[in-house]
Amino acid sequence: MHSFSELVIGDVFVAPFIAYAVTALAIVLALRPILHLCGFDKLFSNPGLAELSLYVAILGLLTVAF
Amino acid sequence: MTTATIPRPLSFGGAPLSAWAFGIRIWVAVVIALAASFWLELEAPSSAALTVAILAAPTRGQALEKACFRLLGTAIGVTAALAVTAVFSQTRDLILAAFAGWIGLCVFAAGLMDGNRAYAAVLSGYTLALIAIQQLDTPQHVFESSVARGAAIAVGIAAVAFVNDLLAAPDSFPRLASQLAALHRRVRDYAKPVPRDEATDAATAAGLLRDIAALRPEITSLATESASGSIRSAAARSTAVALVAAVHAARVLNAVFAANNPAMGDTSAATLRSPALATASREFLGRIFAVREGLAALNAGHRLHWGWRMPLYRSRAIAAAAGLRAAAHLVLASGFFVLAGWPSAEVSLSLVALVIGLGAVSPNPQGFTVAAFIAAPIAAVLAGTLEFLILDGVTEFPLLALALAPFVIGTMVVATMPHPMVASLGRLNLIFILVILSPSNPQSYDANSFLFVVLFLCTGIGLLLAAQTLIPPESIERRQRWIMASVRRDFEQALSGRDRRLAPEEAMFRDAARIGQIPASGASHRDGALLEEGCDPARSRERGSAGGDLPVTPGGRGGGGARGRGYATPPRHGSHREKCSERRGRAGARDQRSAHARSHGYRRR
Repeated sequence: MHSFSELVIGDVFVAPFIAYAVTALAIVLALRPILHLCGFDKLFSNPGLAELSLYVAILGLLTVAF
Repeated sequence: MTTATIPRPLSFGGAPLSAWAFGIRIWVAVVIALAASFWLELEAPSSAALTVAILAAPTRGQALEKACFRLLGTAIGVTAALAVTAVFSQTRDLILAAFAGWIGLCVFAAGLMDGNRAYAAVLSGYTLALIAIQQLDTPQHVFESSVARGAAIAVGIAAVAFVNDLLAAPDSFPRLASQLAALHRRVRDYAKPVPRDEATDAATAAGLLRDIAALRPEITSLATESASGSIRSAAARSTAVALVAAVHAARVLNAVFAANNPAMGDTSAATLRSPALATASREFLGRIFAVREGLAALNAGHRLHWGWRMPLYRSRAIAAAAGLRAAAHLVLASGFFVLAGWPSAEVSLSLVALVIGLGAVSPNPQGFTVAAFIAAPIAAVLAGTLEFLILDGVTEFPLLALALAPFVIGTMVVATMPHPMVASLGRLNLIFILVILSPSNPQSYDANSFLFVVLFLCTGIGLLLAAQTLIPPESIERRQRWIMASVRRDFEQALSGRDRRLAPEEAMFRDAARIGQIPASGASHRDGALLEEGCDPARSRERGSAGGDLPVTPGGRGGGGARGRGYATPPRHGSHREKCSERRGRAGARDQRSAHARSHGYRRR
């Protein structure tokens, strides 16, 4: 069974999902210049949705892996 | 001659289809936010729906940028609320004084920023009201209340982002590119040698500069839009700055042309061969080329090999006056509630803070309060109809979602109307409907609490309107004086060579933003003279010393010595001025002198 590590800020417990969500957001933001170089916007008819899907995929990977 | 017809956008019920699509997107987002909040059993589900209503923006980039700043503003506001509660929890009067001081500080900070940054500043102001003031009698619950609000806001933001992506909300950049292209055409038209008097010329140039500078918040919000957002934003930024430089170059060209040929009709070879005219033409064409390059990069999403920033001008004096007024308005309102001794008055006080904050980021705060005063009773009637006639005790979520549809979609369609007052009414109505209805699980359907909320809403806004009438904003003439004083200060600083932080083009953009803030007093002669001085202070200065008849601001310029100073001459001018002097000798005319002085300083990096 995969156990989630608690995030504790100043004795306040924060849901692990928040840490995953913020980390995934940071990763997507860091990937943006690379995505632009790859022509990510031109590959999809709805690039916004594709970017959201990428975020969800990274979030899922983080949740499974850590 | 060929004519082109512009196809009218498809419309339904008097509103374009894009407005209906926007309304439907916001309705879906409100429903998703409420569903998620109910499912997660959040304590403040109505805050999630309110977040959607506040973040309602027609394009994806604007909504996302506002969402980021809403999170940031909430975090700052929550921190301030915790600090104020910790320090003043036992002293009610001091907590109200600290609250008024905090609101004043936040309104002052908002006055120094624009767009969503200003919104974040005022949000951190009224977040303190929504958390600390609403828990005035139970300070031990401030932390839980902060967490509940933060969670609801996060859910609201996620709902807006998800719906905008899923339903393909339009991107900002095509509209922005067309706006910049339209401005490009206007600048080229302005450069045509048509006889104009000086006042008309300055007013036309000021209008162009104002319209270009007004695009700044939209250009900034491009960065969050997509993977290429930051690159498009940089291209749009440089295009806007190049457009401002082109307006100045066009003024130079017109001035040189008028000096060479007062009749404006002689285009003989001798006139056109004038070296001054050739230089001015080259300068203007260079600027126009930069604009075209920037537009092409914006449309294609390419990186430009050059780039400029868009420095913002804000008057500290005007911002400080607005901050002091906001604090005073809040002190008056809270004083009234303390003396009245009404129970649950903190709800009303929080709403007063909310209207003060949102009004501070609108162009006319008092007009915004008037709009809120009109919107509140309309929203009360609509919310009452929704709660007691349509829903009337319903507990099923799908029925709540369906019942919300006409109210959310209708108000959002109204919010897209071009008239600013009508648009404000639409936006405020949705916010107030959600505040009054306050969707919760289970819904209370309590007529008593409904009437209390409506009463507090109307009383709070009415009190604020009374306070704003008692302490009115400073006069337009005073604001004009403050802005022109900053023009003169910057001019002196630039002449002394102390200010080297900005490139010449960036300094020009900052000047354009300042010109955009010079309010119109209604006296056309005076306004024209101020605009002329704002656009071309070097020339105004020359004319002032030559005994020109610029109107003297009461208590402002006073004597002729201070008259006409103030052109924010771009830095790095020392050697340029010497070269300009040589050209002056050749050209001879005074217009050419000031024209060359400026054109030289504004060369692209």
